[in-house]
Amino acid sequence: MELLEYAIIGGILYGIFFSLVGIGLNLIFGVMRIINLAHGQFIVLGAYAAWLVSRHFGFNPLWGVPVSIVAAAVIGFPLYYAVVPRLQRSGDPEMLSFILFFGIGQMLEALTVLGFGADQRSLPSEALGAGNIGVLGQEFPDSWWWAAAFSMAAIVALWLYFTRTKLGYATRAIMASRDEALATGISVNKVSALAFVAGLALAGIAGVFLPYLLGSVSPDLGDGLTTTSFAIVIIGSLGNPLGTVIGGLVFGLGTMLMQTYYSSWSNLVPYVLLLVIVLIRPTGLLGKAVRSV
Amino acid sequence: MSAPSPKTFLRRVAAGLALSATAVAAHAAAAPADIKIGTLYASSGPFAVASQGQYEGLQFWAAAINKEGGVFVKAFNKKIPVKIVAYDDQSSTSTATTLYNQLITQDKVDVLVADFGSVLTSVAVPLAAEHHMLLIDPTGSGANFFTKPTDYLADVSIPSSTVWPIPLANYIIQQKIKRVAILYGANDFDASQATTLKEVLAKAGIKPVYDHGVPTTESNYTVLLHTIAATHPDAVLEFGYAPNDIAFLRGLSQSGLHFPMTFTIFPGQLLGLITKNVGAKALNYTYTYPTPPLVKYEKVTYGMNTADFVKAFQAANKKEPNFLDCAGYNTGLIVQHMLDMSPQFTQKDFHQAIMDMSGKTTTLLGAFDVNANGAQLGQPFPVAQIVPEGAGSKMVVVYPQDKATGKAVYPAPQQ
Repeated sequence: MELLEYAIIGGILYGIFFSLVGIGLNLIFGVMRIINLAHGQFIVLGAYAAWLVSRHFGFNPLWGVPVSIVAAAVIGFPLYYAVVPRLQRSGDPEMLSFILFFGIGQMLEALTVLGFGADQRSLPSEALGAGNIGVLGQEFPDSWWWAAAFSMAAIVALWLYFTRTKLGYATRAIMASRDEALATGISVNKVSALAFVAGLALAGIAGVFLPYLLGSVSPDLGDGLTTTSFAIVIIGSLGNPLGTVIGGLVFGLGTMLMQTYYSSWSNLVPYVLLLVIVLIRPTGLLGKAVRSV
Repeated sequence: MSAPSPKTFLRRVAAGLALSATAVAAHAAAAPADIKIGTLYASSGPFAVASQGQYEGLQFWAAAINKEGGVFVKAFNKKIPVKIVAYDDQSSTSTATTLYNQLITQDKVDVLVADFGSVLTSVAVPLAAEHHMLLIDPTGSGANFFTKPTDYLADVSIPSSTVWPIPLANYIIQQKIKRVAILYGANDFDASQATTLKEVLAKAGIKPVYDHGVPTTESNYTVLLHTIAATHPDAVLEFGYAPNDIAFLRGLSQSGLHFPMTFTIFPGQLLGLITKNVGAKALNYTYTYPTPPLVKYEKVTYGMNTADFVKAFQAANKKEPNFLDCAGYNTGLIVQHMLDMSPQFTQKDFHQAIMDMSGKTTTLLGAFDVNANGAQLGQPFPVAQIVPEGAGSKMVVVYPQDKATGKAVYPAPQQ
């Protein structure tokens, strides 16, 4: 029973963090209908930003969060205007974005290897507290709580943006129908560019905590993170960013329960869940909510 | 039988001389301008650090031998420079398959050397056999490679993974440790070690209290460690690759859990990388298999001994070598010895030369002993513990007794 409790609490914390890992991918798809296959590489860049901040400049790795946001703006706006409007003018933006962002991802990975080397890098354990915090008698490292807290904060901020700001309403309008949003005078390009940067920033923020949850970071982690994010997004609902929270929780709980009781198969969890959800509910667990937005 | 007439005798001698001259001429004509050694390395991916170390060691050997005019090739009775033909497989088995094929069929290399580790070697084993080429396997030690006699495989720089854990199992038995937890990566390298360990422990009546595999890509051990702790083990043995070991040891240090004995593989091979990521304090009292240059072989019969290699490598590459650098250099040495022993320049003769030197050769990695299945049974790994010393730490060999440099601290104190 104690093992089950530990797996459930661990699964929730891990799942909340993986909601943040996937949410940027879903935001970009929801607004622009493009699939950012370089998503994992942007998460890895966030991790390296935290590594630079802490190991090179001696600051707390949490300073990697604002650095990631600034870097997302610096990289995101030019990248958006260079590729996204062109993609959307093409006949098949989804498929073309698939290919284009795959290429960008490979370039980013190669650049990361050139810049940092191929070896593993980790962040100082004590920077986020070297102790453990317990809930219902189950203790988890401080870094897990920090990761979950920042993830929750980022998700709540996104929800507030969607539901309390004019830009958020405009973003939701574009997600519902790009053509109708254009017809109502919404500056689709500007709002989309902002969403694109927000998607990259969310990926970067997730990256800051990645070395704590996965032990270390190395340039090759990007593709695996993109695949996991994609599974989480589809489990929740493709095109509905907040559905990703449900996808992340299902993934986290599934992985931790599997690790506890049948560890050899734990890496199959996201894909088995994906298969089951697609067969039973092709729109994802929150698929209906997309239509009602 | 009557003796040949002087005329017939002269004719035969002339014919013999003519044949010999033709053979020598043919040999001289067939001698290549350089000996092409084909290999792969990974510049990225999970095996990059280890693969690059192995490749650097091989390059170091090639540069050193070329400075001396090349490698002596007995089949041509002369020294010939070596040329390394290498491609980047990015730690991907599918890319590696294509590139091994290219080395064999397009580049037509003379000697085929596998990339680091069992995963990237696994795709080369059937390809080499299919093309009747001897695969020089530096560090692919998975048990499945060595199940039947073969002329096309020789594990040269690392013992077969089935023999690695034997000293470890014997140490556990000697220490009278009864509650053992085993966590291993679901790949041939790690799983075969777990299997051997369990077999040896079973003979002493020890049944693991926890025995589970995890995916090779596993990177989060917090919940796994908690599950292991629930079985109250006295020894936790984790068999994984370097990224697994980093994640495992970091997870352990962050979890607040403590076990009397913890073992992982790669601190003994890539101590610098593991220390950098885990921290020296978190590594204290961890057990591992120490490998050269952490353990040194003074008396060798071929090439530099371990200490001389360390000095030469430092001078040439301006950095401390690790085990993979030693393994890459040793691979070059074995190729060198193979070429200076092979009477003919054929893959079959290369294999025979490897078998002939087996059991009679000692290099910087220890005794070289390949069996008919291609498995390396020499170069044994002892068991060592990392113990604090002043501000740093040191590696103390604790088993077997004849190699021990100190006594183990067991149970490990809580830090």
